[in-house]
Amino acid sequence: MSDLQLAVTQARYALLTSFRTPRTLVFGMAFPVVLLVMFNSIFTNGAQDSVTFAGGTIDASAYFTASLSAYAIALSTFTSLAIGLTAQRESGQLKRLRGTPVPAWTFVAGQVMRSAAVAFLVVAVLLATGVIFFGVHLEAERMVGFVLYVALGAVVFSALGIAVTAYTSTVDSASAITPFVTVMLSFISGVFISVDQLPNWLEAVGKVFPLYHVAEGLQRCVLSGVGGTGLTGNNLAVLALWGVAGVWVATRRFRWEP
Amino acid sequence: MDRPAIAVRGLRKSYGADEVLHGIDFEVQPGEVFGLLGPNGAGKTTAIEILEGYRERSAGEVSVLGVDPGRPTRAWREQVGLVLQESQLEPLLTVRETLSLFATFYASPRSVDETIELVGLTDGRDRRVGTLSGGQRRRLDVAVGLIGDPHLLFLDEPTTGFDPSARRSAWNMIDGLRSLGTTIFLTTHYMEEAQYLADRVAILRDGEVAALGRPDELGSRETVIRYRRPGTGEIVTLRTTDPQRTLYELTSWAEREHVELDGLEATRPTLENVFLELTGGGHE
Repeated sequence: MSDLQLAVTQARYALLTSFRTPRTLVFGMAFPVVLLVMFNSIFTNGAQDSVTFAGGTIDASAYFTASLSAYAIALSTFTSLAIGLTAQRESGQLKRLRGTPVPAWTFVAGQVMRSAAVAFLVVAVLLATGVIFFGVHLEAERMVGFVLYVALGAVVFSALGIAVTAYTSTVDSASAITPFVTVMLSFISGVFISVDQLPNWLEAVGKVFPLYHVAEGLQRCVLSGVGGTGLTGNNLAVLALWGVAGVWVATRRFRWEP
Repeated sequence: MDRPAIAVRGLRKSYGADEVLHGIDFEVQPGEVFGLLGPNGAGKTTAIEILEGYRERSAGEVSVLGVDPGRPTRAWREQVGLVLQESQLEPLLTVRETLSLFATFYASPRSVDETIELVGLTDGRDRRVGTLSGGQRRRLDVAVGLIGDPHLLFLDEPTTGFDPSARRSAWNMIDGLRSLGTTIFLTTHYMEEAQYLADRVAILRDGEVAALGRPDELGSRETVIRYRRPGTGEIVTLRTTDPQRTLYELTSWAEREHVELDGLEATRPTLENVFLELTGGGHE
């Protein structure tokens, strides 16, 4: 078996484990969908049915479908990897794995693949919910950019999720810190509240972090009648920087034992 | 294979200023079952983790299957099976799934079903790891240690926390591994376990090897004879390396004097006694 196959096999078993974990199913998968239904039912009533965005306006339902996709990506990669890996380190599973001939990178790659697969799955469910129940209109040419943003977000947030395990010494701390970070960022990144309702200084803070750029990118991709791919150099540059920083810390500071 | 499976010379390990292994020496021959005995805190786990490639040593020479475990390679990991002290496997996978996954890590693994049968888990093969009993989980640990078909298997305290019947059945299982020809290195603080399983043992005390040899050799250096002194009833203890002669002299004397030797017994100290003597009775 080649090393790449080893990574895929480990991703497959990790995915199997994910589907047997109630926490992943409820918080990683069902939760974003429930939020989407709630947001679109609450915020798309009457006057609130469009959001000022990128110099134009966007249907609130489309806006929140994209926003919660960004949230779901962060949840299923950053949060779930940080908690999952810290738990596996605490229980000694990582140490046990280290005692086999399997190359370390194939394990990490397998975990990232699993998280990315879950992210794509949840985003697909969110998109379907948006299109079927809330009349979100998707343009085929924009879907290329959308998929790229999902993939890029999954990779960047996975790297950050692995990096953060260097600082979460126990599952308790990982379960307290990472969901908190994700929720806080969601408030200032145009995920839970549209950016046109944020004070400028708070939006400026949000722009420093990657969630803002994943959300903004995905939102651009569901704007209708604009053309192009929705990719912007600014979004890509910030995400690339965070990705590199995450990989840099992850490769230097990752620990196999508590 | 001419070279020993494990050769340890002058092994030292310090954590900061605290030295926990003060230069230990032993060799393990291929095909041998070797037991490292000692009370908690004697340095057993530190020693086995150095041999397993988890810890770096501070000084000394260590060779495991001809390789320095301080620099573990993938090829070396293929040959070495591990059963760590605490069970750490994914609780949400089944027994079969767990072994199938670990089997993919090795170039030439054992058959999953055969390995399940070998450790006696056939009935539980489709159960999730999290639902297994302590004894069953330990069997799975051993199965995971064996799935790569190793030349050398490390067992770190394989039966700690077991009830006596689970321990007995785990011993039978481990004893059965001899037929595979696998070299086994085990640590334990149960003397009976070492006596039952090991061909040779090293007793570790305060980071030093206090005794090394076959369990029956270590256990039978002296025979202890006890009886109650006629008249006073106090217990007399004699130690002898020639029990036949001592007993003959003792009973001849009693016959001549027409006295009864109440409570006469002759016992060969078990490994347990030797261990308690060597370690000052301080275990557990």
